[in-house]
Amino acid sequence: MSRLERRYRRLLLCYPRSYRRARADEIVGTLLDLAPPGRTRPTVREAVNLLRQGLRARLGRPASRTVVVWASLASVLCGLITGSLAAHLGWAAARPLPSVQEARAILTDTLPGHPVDRIHRGAALFVIYGQPLSWDNADTLLTLDAGEYEFANTGVVLNGLPPIPHEQTLRVAQDNLRAAGWRLYRVRSDTAVDCAGPPCNPSTLPLDYTLMASRGDNILTLKLIEGSGLDTTYLVAEIERATPWAVHVAAVAGVVLGFLGGWMLFGWASRRTEGRPAVRALASVMFTLVLLLWGVPCFVVPPMLLAHHLGEPHPRWHQLWEWIGLPSFAFIFVVGLLCALLALAIAALPRLPVREARRDAPA
Amino acid sequence: MTEMREPTFLVLTALVDGPRHGYGIIREVAALSDGRVKLLPGTLYAALDRLVAQGLVEHVRDEVADGRMRRYYRLTSAGLQVLTAEIARLRQLAGAAESRLRALNPRHA
Repeated sequence: MSRLERRYRRLLLCYPRSYRRARADEIVGTLLDLAPPGRTRPTVREAVNLLRQGLRARLGRPASRTVVVWASLASVLCGLITGSLAAHLGWAAARPLPSVQEARAILTDTLPGHPVDRIHRGAALFVIYGQPLSWDNADTLLTLDAGEYEFANTGVVLNGLPPIPHEQTLRVAQDNLRAAGWRLYRVRSDTAVDCAGPPCNPSTLPLDYTLMASRGDNILTLKLIEGSGLDTTYLVAEIERATPWAVHVAAVAGVVLGFLGGWMLFGWASRRTEGRPAVRALASVMFTLVLLLWGVPCFVVPPMLLAHHLGEPHPRWHQLWEWIGLPSFAFIFVVGLLCALLALAIAALPRLPVREARRDAPA
Repeated sequence: MTEMREPTFLVLTALVDGPRHGYGIIREVAALSDGRVKLLPGTLYAALDRLVAQGLVEHVRDEVADGRMRRYYRLTSAGLQVLTAEIARLRQLAGAAESRLRALNPRHA
């Protein structure tokens, strides 16, 4: 076997095994017929073409024009889900939350005149109702409260009457943070109360302020609140961790692997159900459910989150899983996963021996 | 059947005068298109798979020449019908376009 032939055969690994068994010699023969004497490597054009057609051949149904669309949809959804899970795993590379001492030092320098002694520190980088995720509370992820799984922080909550006017606290905090090398983001101000009715001049209403700043892997959020009613909180300062680079690497790897895995699995199921109308119909019903259950959050949430993202400063982008509605819609994704497994199980059903015999019978 | 793409039309045309193997089809398609269409083997075999699945082309025999496997394909009667219909469609379109051009500029006649 020549070096060129060996390389062509290696490229044919993109095709499914059964296809290679039946057609590899023929395709390689044609490729060798076309190759000019002395060539030892496939051209880039040939390699890309074989890769592309090999991935198409994995879907079976050569006469179908829509199978590629369905496979692409399924693969994109698989890629987004695995990318999200991988991104979450990537957070293992982040440092633990700032210690109480570290946070106290930052907040004392930033907020002189405020009693920032009683610092709280999250039990982990992510918590659900203040507790790290464990088998004991994992079931909460399958309820309507799944959205409570969120970033934890180290920080302080101050109650009572503010010792210093908010505008002054804000100005001092900005100056101190800037001097300490923090990057400051646009201050967001919202009216603390709504107009009770006309006449009302919104410019006279008290304001809540939110200031965000980042330095290294720390993100500081400072909220200055006009207390109203029973809630006497006037200041909240929280320090969270910035997204470590490993999250981005893991997310990209997860998306690519998930896309390829989704393509392979869809292709396998598509080939397995070819020529079996009943099995195909059942698997199609399951597949449609998967598309709906996974697709709706994956396509509905991003526009809404993007509008929110553009509307206010974000030192840390929302995580990939948030863009597809996780963990809020975790239950829907789990049901979708069960449907996907069921579709694969249906595709894996052995072919009926009667049909085999009929198919093998001489014409 | 949806509108036929040019490579498909050329592959079917290449098989009109008898069975051909993959390499032969690629050469014939290049000749028919004056070298404009150069099919890559991956594309050709995907097209042949599709045409076989549609019943327009069928596999007739295998040969081994110079140690290389050659599988021959030929046009089925359904393939011939589809090709004939496509030729009629293209001829009608070309005729309509030509008559418009002739009306615009008689020297084109």
